[in-house]
Order: sequence, then structure tokens, then C-alpha cells
Amino acid sequence: MLKYIWLVPALPLAGAAVNLVFGKRLGKWSGILGPVMVGGSFVISLLALFELLGKPPEERVYVAHLWDWFHAGALDVGADLRVDALSMTMILVVTGVGFLIHVYSIGYMHGDRLYPRFFAYLNLFVFFMLTLVLAQNFVVLFIGWEGVGLCSYLLIGFWFEKPAAANASKKAFITTRVGDTFFVVGLAMIFVYFGSFDFDKVLNGHAAGALSVGTLTAISLLLFGGAIGKSAQIPLHVWLPDAMEGPTPVSALIHAATMVTAGVYLVVRTHVLFTPTSLAVVMFIGLATALYAATSAVGQDDIKRLLAYSTLSQLGYMFFAAGMGAYGVAMFMLVAHAFYKALMFLAAGSVMHGMEGETDMTKMGGLKKYMPLTATLFMIGAITIAGIPPLSGFFAKDPILSLANRSGRGLAWLLADAAAFLTAFYTARLVFLTFFGESRTDKHAHESPKVMAVPMGLLAAGAAVAGVLAITPEGVLAKFLEPVTGLPGEFVGGLPEWALMVVSVLIALAAIWLGWYVYASTRWRALRERYPYVHDLLENGWYWDAAYANTIVPAGKWVAGIAAFGFDTGFIDGIVNGLGSLTKGLAAVGRRLQTGMVRTYAAVFLFGVFVVLLVLAVRS
Amino acid sequence: MSAEQLIFWVFAPISVAAAMLMVIQRNAIHSALFLILNFFTIAVFYLVLGSPFLFAVQIIVYAGAIMVLFLFVIMLLGVDREESLKERIRGQRIIAPLLAIGVLAEIFTAVRLGVGLAAKAPGGWDVVNQGGNAQALARVLFRAYFLPFEITSVLLIVAAIAAMVLTRGRMTAAPGAQDGPGEGEEAA
Amino acid sequence: MKVPIAYFLTLSTVLFSIGTVGVLIRRNALVMFMSIELQLNAVNLSLVAFSRQLGNLNGQVLAFFSMVVAAAEVVVGLAIIVSIFRKRTTINVDDEDLLKW
Repeated sequence: MLKYIWLVPALPLAGAAVNLVFGKRLGKWSGILGPVMVGGSFVISLLALFELLGKPPEERVYVAHLWDWFHAGALDVGADLRVDALSMTMILVVTGVGFLIHVYSIGYMHGDRLYPRFFAYLNLFVFFMLTLVLAQNFVVLFIGWEGVGLCSYLLIGFWFEKPAAANASKKAFITTRVGDTFFVVGLAMIFVYFGSFDFDKVLNGHAAGALSVGTLTAISLLLFGGAIGKSAQIPLHVWLPDAMEGPTPVSALIHAATMVTAGVYLVVRTHVLFTPTSLAVVMFIGLATALYAATSAVGQDDIKRLLAYSTLSQLGYMFFAAGMGAYGVAMFMLVAHAFYKALMFLAAGSVMHGMEGETDMTKMGGLKKYMPLTATLFMIGAITIAGIPPLSGFFAKDPILSLANRSGRGLAWLLADAAAFLTAFYTARLVFLTFFGESRTDKHAHESPKVMAVPMGLLAAGAAVAGVLAITPEGVLAKFLEPVTGLPGEFVGGLPEWALMVVSVLIALAAIWLGWYVYASTRWRALRERYPYVHDLLENGWYWDAAYANTIVPAGKWVAGIAAFGFDTGFIDGIVNGLGSLTKGLAAVGRRLQTGMVRTYAAVFLFGVFVVLLVLAVRS
Repeated sequence: MSAEQLIFWVFAPISVAAAMLMVIQRNAIHSALFLILNFFTIAVFYLVLGSPFLFAVQIIVYAGAIMVLFLFVIMLLGVDREESLKERIRGQRIIAPLLAIGVLAEIFTAVRLGVGLAAKAPGGWDVVNQGGNAQALARVLFRAYFLPFEITSVLLIVAAIAAMVLTRGRMTAAPGAQDGPGEGEEAA
Repeated sequence: MKVPIAYFLTLSTVLFSIGTVGVLIRRNALVMFMSIELQLNAVNLSLVAFSRQLGNLNGQVLAFFSMVVAAAEVVVGLAIIVSIFRKRTTINVDDEDLLKW
């Protein structure tokens, strides 16, 4: 089955093409085609996994050279796919979670005017994401990188008639573009210093070892720049909360489970190139984002924006882990997060579906009565993210925290614990505000249909039991990934393992209790009235977005204005129009030759004869 | 001075004078008459150059048929019609003679360089004109140049038909105004 | 033959030039046409002169054909002038300026 690995990205691509061209005619069948394609990819990936597992660990790499793409001088680029432990993990997550979200969308997007187009875009996204993670060289990876950015734009702005959605999609694309610029410069440097884009040539220790530390730091930081954009870390995080304007399945798939994890995948894939300095930068940015986003999440009233900030925070954790060298741990967090975050987003979508599109939690409350299934599933997700064992979230977060502590990074450990506290707190806030307490709305919510509930249930199950893959940092997944990622660093000291685990659980429980105390009653309203500024600060993300809007955005617009109006309209168009005017002027002069009178023509004729004779006379 | 030289130096000025006067006359009939005089002088030159046949043909065809046709048309279109002296195209009166003199100079130079101003005509013309000029011309015309001969005869027929077609359609448009071509047509 | 050929050629050229001037200066269509005939005759003269110079009859034959074609041309040309006159009642060539821009 490894031989047919190309089918894994090809099936969604075919689905997208068919839905784009024949979508209207297919009608509701387009909503069957989309999930089927992704499901097919999942099955093939699973079969490929078994084949891969049949090999000994050192040989679990399969490179599929599909065709020669282009040659440019010394550069040969082929359309190559690589199946190893890392990419296998990613494609299983992408196709598995993707399939469930596709099925959910059948119910969620039911009745939408552009129903087939949604599935086309969704399939297209899956294709690009699979291309990204299956790439064997940086060029194919970049194709996928740009492609997921494009699909993100298309899907965020799916309801483009809404100005907020159109603006959000623009913002997402432009912000990630900034990161992509760094990424491309990094790619250029890779070509200059390695002479190739192929992973086998670039990402082996020997080639990297031949370069200076400074060069490697520069290259890795440039690549990480792209990751900052795509994975919405500080300072390029501003697009993710606004991206919630898109339909909820989009938020679940792209902005929780897959596209935003592309940055993490990139760092793990190219970790050979990261020097201690660049890893420190990764770690710092990850931790800072985790803390910043967790605080901001506490102040969000919109259910989806809260989850968006939560995603930011969890991604920060993943980068934090990667920055410490624990790539296997970061990958498990990626997998677990995909499950529980997608679950929470879908459940939030279920709530919105039942509340006729309402997203403001201050207008909800007591929904447990009307949507018991959704509430239960959501709470499973909430407990997971809070890090209560034996659900997977604990096995994701605790290794990170303990690694921080036991590798001597005491301050980082404290800050990470603070972020963990806030994580549990804001999640509890969400649950209690939405599902418990007095009902603050007149709407009578209804439960979601089975087509939406079953995927959620499956995700919840995954979130619950996935922990079995990583009970220890050297668990199943880590062992599987080890040929690619290497082992985490040595433990220097710090508290013993069991103590750290207890601390983590206690923090989580304390946060949940606090959340119940404040939000399951009406105490939060009083708090908000007493400290309005705090709430506003947090809700606006410490006014980071506003800062950009007042500084960088006007500056950019000014430069763009000069380019568009000054240069393009004035100069370029001026040249072109000037040529036109010049031609007109010359023509106005020249056409006076056409007098229409025979005698002038005869005179000109004679003049020509005169000249010809002159030439002939001179030449002989 | 031999006979040829005498004839040349008498008729050449007449020829040039007739041409110039033709160009300058304001009355078209006078122009035509001067042109006829010019044609006569040229016929004489043909004779001097050893082609009595062309001498005759020139007078019969050119002076006798073509110019008569011209005179008919001039009379048809208004004998007393005179051109105004005012020239509407700027510089035309200056450019035209200048260019003509220029061309003349060029060709004169070419002649001088090519043929030479003093070269004499070769003798032995009698060999070529054996049996008389007409017979010699006939020998060449009906053998080597037979195809052009036939084609030009077709050309003449076509020209005659063209003239009839071109001038025919207007007869119904302006009844009674044109008499010449109409009567000529019926008479033919 | 005591007169050099060059004299005839010069005469031919002079007549040709006069004809050219006539074409350019006169506005009466018929006089223009006559000037063109003058040019044709000048050329015929030079043809016959060359025929004499080179010692064969090709020049004379060519002049003969030139005359025939000139006759045909005059027929058609005059027919055209007559029909233009019928439409516009003018034979001033300056008035035929429909091709003016």
C-alpha cells in the first residue's frame, strides 16, 4: 500500500475538482463525496501504517518519486513524497480528524446556498495539508504551505458577503504572508548553503554539521518565522481570533487540528537545523504565547474566540516543548490537541446550531437541560484540556511541564504552570457559563442531529483514550517517532516525577473549582462591574491588535498607496498613456500627408523617384 | 552639317517649345493643339532614327486618333472652361519644377556616364532593316513577340467595352443632357 | 547617322520632365492626362533611340506596344473622366479629395 501513497493526497484533490466543477449538479451528493474522499485517504493511510510497522524501525522510510518536476541549472526538483513516522502520524491525524469534521459538516452546513463549494474547499485544503506533510523536499512542502494558506483564506471568507468575514480572511492571509516572507528567505538560504531542497540532502546531521552555527541559526529562525505566521504565535497571532468568522467546521479543522499545526510539524521536521540559540527563541516565543493567550482567553465572551485563544495557547505549549528538544512530546500534544480541540469546536458549533447562531456566552446559560449530549461531550473535552488523568490532555501537558522542571528551567516551569492554571480556568468558565446556571436567553435550544453528534462522540472517545499512546515520554508514539525526532534531553534534577504529576493535577482541580465558583453563579457579573478595565484589556488581547491597527497597518497602507497610486497609476500608467498620447500626436501630424489630392501624391511619388535615382547614381 | 543634324536642331527646339507651351496654356484646346505639334516633331525624330513605320504609326494613331479623342472630350466637357490661376496646395509650384529638374539632372548624368555624350550611332542599320522597316518589324512582331501582340489586341477590345460600360449607366439618370456618347453609340 | 544618341536621350529626358511638371501643376484633369501622354512619348523616343544604338528592333517593338497600350489607356481614362464629370460637373482634380483623412 505504500506504493499507492500518492492516492492519499490525490483523492481529496479529485473530490475538490469534482465538487468545484459539478457541485451544483451534485447537490447533496457533494456532501457525500467530500467525506468519502477523505475517508478513503484515511483508510489508505492506515493500511500504509501497517505496512510501515511491518518493517524494522531503522527502515521505516519510504520515498515515492512521482515525477521529475523541473531542473534549473544545478537544481533538480521532483514531485517526491516521503512516508516516515512523522509524516505518517500527521496524515493519520489530518485524514482521521478531517474525515470526522467532513461528516459533521454535512449537518452543520445543511441548507447553505454554497454547500458544494464548501466541501470542495475543504477537500482542497486536505489535499494541500497532506502535500505539506508528505513532502520530501522543501519545494513540495512550500506548495502545501501556500496552498493551505489559500484554502484558509477561502474558507474563512466563505460567507464573503459578510464584511467581517471578508476582512478576517484578508487579515489571515496577509499576516501569514509576513511569516511566509521569512520562510522563503530561509528556503533561499537553504539552497545557497546546501545546494538542494531534498530532505535527504539537507536534513541529515552531516550536511548541517558542516555549516557555521550562525548560518544554521539564521536559517532555522527564518523557517521558524514562517511557522510563527502559520501557527499564529506572537507576534503574528492576530489573525486567528478573527478567523472565527468562518464556519465552525473550518475553525475546527484548520484552526485547531491541522493548518496551525503545520508550524509545529515544520520545526520537528527540520529540527536538525536548529541550534541552541534558535531553540531558545522557539521556546521563549512558545511560552510567551501560551501565557499571553491564556490570559486573553479568560476575557473572551465569544465562545469561538475563547477557543481560538485557547488554540493559540496550546500551540505555544507545543513550541515550548519543541524548544526544549522534546519533539516526540510536542507531537503527541499535537495529536491529542487535534482531538480535544476539534471536539470542543464542533461542540461549540453544536451550541451555535441550537442557539440559532448566537456566540456570546453571556447570553447563554443552563443549556445542559436542552443539549445534554453536547454538554457531556464538551465537558469531556474540557476535562481533557485541563489535564486531568487518565484523559489524553494530562499525558500531553504533564511531560512538558515536568521536562521544564527537571531540565533546570525553573522559571519556565512556573510560568507554564500559570498558563496551565489559566487553561483549566477559562475552559471551566466556558463550560459553566454556557451549560450551567440560570438561563439568560429566551431561545429554546435543541440538540444537534446524529450526523453532527456521532463525529463529536468519536472525537471525544479519541480524546479520552489517546493517552494510551504516551503514558510515558518514551511511550508508544515517542518510540514510533524516535527515528525522526530523537530522544528528549537529559534530566538534570528538579522534583521527582510523581510530585510533578500531583502538582499538575492539583492546579487543574483548583482552577476548575474557581471557575465553578465564579461562573456557575452570578458572581462574575459583579466582578465585571467592579473591574471593567481588566475585562476589556483581556477581551482585546492586551490591545495587541489595536496596536497593530494604529501603527503597522496605516504605515503599510501608506506604502501601498504610494505604490498603487504614485508609482503604478502615476508612473507606469503615465508611461503607457504617454506613449499613446505621443502616438496620437505624431499621427495628428502625419495624417496631414493624406490630403486626398492626387497632385500631392504625385509629388511625393516623384520625390521618391528622385531619391531612388540618387541612390542608384551614388552607388555606381 | 548633315541632313540629320539639321533636322534634329530644327525640330528639337520646336518639340521642347511645344511641350512647354502645352503645359502653360490655360485653355485646354490650345494645350491639345500644342501637344499635337509635339507629336509631329517626335514622328520626325522616329524617321531620323531609322523607323519610317513608327513615323507613320505615330501620326496615325497618336496625333490622329488619340488626340482627336481628347479633343472630343474637351469639347464635350466645356471648351471655354478655364482653370483658375490660384494654386491651393502650398509649395506645389516650387517643388514640382525643382524635383523635375532634379530628375532631369540625374538622368542626364546617367546618360553621360553610360552612353557618353559624343558616341555616335552605329551604322549597319540596313542589315537590320532588310526589306524595309515594316517587313523587318513584322518579322520580329509576328514571331518573337506574337503572344504580347495577341494580348494587346484583347486589351484593346476590353478597353472599348470598358468605355461603353463606364459611360452607359448614366443615360437614364440625366435624360436629354448627354448627346455625344449616346449618338455615337447608336451610330456605332 | 551623325547625331549622337545622347542628344536624343537628353531631349527625351527634357520632354519627360516637362510632362512631369505638367502633371503636378495643372488641375484640369484633361491637361494632366495629356501631360502623361507627353511623358509616354518621351519614353518611346528614348526606346527608339536605344533600338538604333543597339542595332536590333526590340526597342521599336516595345515602342509600338507602348503606343497600343497608351491608346487603350486613353480610352478608359477618358471614359472615367466623363463619368466623373457627369456626377460632379467638375474636372478639377483637387475636388476629388474623398481620401482625405
